[in-house]
Amino acid sequence: MNALDISSITFSYEGATVRALQNVSLTVTDGRMQALLGPNGAGKSTLMRVITGQLRGYSGDISIYGKKMPDRKALLSIGYAPQPISLYTTLTARENLNFFGAMAGLSDEQIVLRSEIVLEQTGLTAHAEEPVAIYSGGMQRRLNLAVALLHSPKLLLLDEPTVGVDPQSRNHIYDTLRELNAAGMTILLSTHIMEEAERLCSSVTLADKGEVIFNGQMSEIDDLEKLFLEKTGRGLRDE
Amino acid sequence: MLILLRDRQTILLLFLMPVALILFLSLAMEGVWTDKLTGRKIQLVIENKSNTLKANLLAEKIKSNKLIQTVDRPRDMTDDEIFADGRAHAIVTIPGGFDEGDQPVEMYFDPVIDAGYKIAARSLITSIIVEVVMGIDNLDAVIAGLLIEKTKPNRNFPTPLQQNVPGYAIFAMFFIAIPMSIGFLKEKKDGTLQRLFTYPVNTNLLILGKIVPYYLINVFQFVLMLLVGVYIMSHIISFSFHLGEHPWHMVPVTLVVAAATTGFGVLVAALARTPEQSSTLAATGAVLMGVFGGIMMPHALMPMVMKKVAMISPMYWAHQAYLDIFIRDAALTAILPKLIVLTLFAGICFYIAGRRVQWI
Repeated sequence: MNALDISSITFSYEGATVRALQNVSLTVTDGRMQALLGPNGAGKSTLMRVITGQLRGYSGDISIYGKKMPDRKALLSIGYAPQPISLYTTLTARENLNFFGAMAGLSDEQIVLRSEIVLEQTGLTAHAEEPVAIYSGGMQRRLNLAVALLHSPKLLLLDEPTVGVDPQSRNHIYDTLRELNAAGMTILLSTHIMEEAERLCSSVTLADKGEVIFNGQMSEIDDLEKLFLEKTGRGLRDE
Repeated sequence: MLILLRDRQTILLLFLMPVALILFLSLAMEGVWTDKLTGRKIQLVIENKSNTLKANLLAEKIKSNKLIQTVDRPRDMTDDEIFADGRAHAIVTIPGGFDEGDQPVEMYFDPVIDAGYKIAARSLITSIIVEVVMGIDNLDAVIAGLLIEKTKPNRNFPTPLQQNVPGYAIFAMFFIAIPMSIGFLKEKKDGTLQRLFTYPVNTNLLILGKIVPYYLINVFQFVLMLLVGVYIMSHIISFSFHLGEHPWHMVPVTLVVAAATTGFGVLVAALARTPEQSSTLAATGAVLMGVFGGIMMPHALMPMVMKKVAMISPMYWAHQAYLDIFIRDAALTAILPKLIVLTLFAGICFYIAGRRVQWI
């Protein structure tokens, strides 16, 4: 069974003249780590928000492990780390995990147990009782990931998970993702960093201007950056 | 709730602001209320330059009158300095030759004395002079056969605490709109609000979860202000805080008022696009509602036009509902129309917010 099946998704923001997503189709096989590559304005974050039920009013079909969206129960299969650091900065890491754990319907015991595991996975155990406001950018990014992992999702959706972090934190995040994928978690990684996609992913979907322009296996691509620039052009993307 | 409680400065402000307003404005208004409701003794400096039998009798009668408090002239102080220093309201001079009827008694008034107060003081001294000059022993007893005074029990004019405790509690409750709207906009900006919608939780429940903590803070604000009024303020100023015959009516009133204030907060959150906008909108709205609604200027003292205009402010209905309890001993059925108005206000706010707000 595919972890994620997206078929002919079209979406426009209210008042916009250009479609943010145009007839997007995409499949993520269970157990795979797949890159969603694209320049700024490609529609990567919009697609993530459509999949996670934040944006409505699209046409087309989305299925998560066979459950057709919108199905709020299907959301439990997803762990989502958005591009902005979406955490309560006045709370500690543990308090954030307690809150989001409760949102995911975990019991108190499960929250305690899972919090320890994800804090360990993201290297934040020693800082669990500190308010997020005093965290470095890298630590906040790792906690953003920890929250997404808390309820043991089968499919992890990551939107630019290493933006603005130092090489140490970035490598820690890469190692964590490799371990999670090796343990069977399916990952869709939205990024515009070629190296990230090449190092981590076995397959790649290339998007630009709201459309999917390439789907393929990483092993079949000789030079990803060359392919990227060929497909998306060399013009600046200032939007 | 935890996120809200972590914002200690805001919480402190929400509770300290009304306490400070209640304390300082009640103290400031104490004198006005004393004059208005219970009356206070006229403070007079008496100068007897005659020292004859009649003049001494007049001075003695003035001094012994229960409505007059005589003040000794402070050494080296001129009349103007006495008034400027607030030592006396008037200076009564009994001139030499008073017995012979050649020279009248002089009354020199503080220029800023209330006109009604001046007339009362003048009438009182006049009646005492008449007693002395005409040889009448007790003019009041003579008048009593001709004039009977009756005063309707006060049902409209609250004491400073009855006015200010619910008034500034309501005022502060409306200020909840500031942290509420800023919190909402901040959560939207940093994506936490959007993140919540990726969990399988009922959307309405989620929104309710965002609103309920503010509602509870509002209720707690009122309870705390009430406790401050009853247990602290009544020891600081000379008026007790009478809660009326049915103080438990405060429970439904407070629950409805808190719904109205929370509704206002949701409306501001829905209308504002930036935190700066929301602070300005909420603060300006609350101050205007307070000015019109009889919080800053007691409704009973307003001119008739303003009394009518006050009805556009939800603070008026909230305040009057509490005054119904404190000074009118009103039955719940009498308070109910005000609660309906407040419920409608809350409903309209939530409706508009529901139509306008983009949660994600």
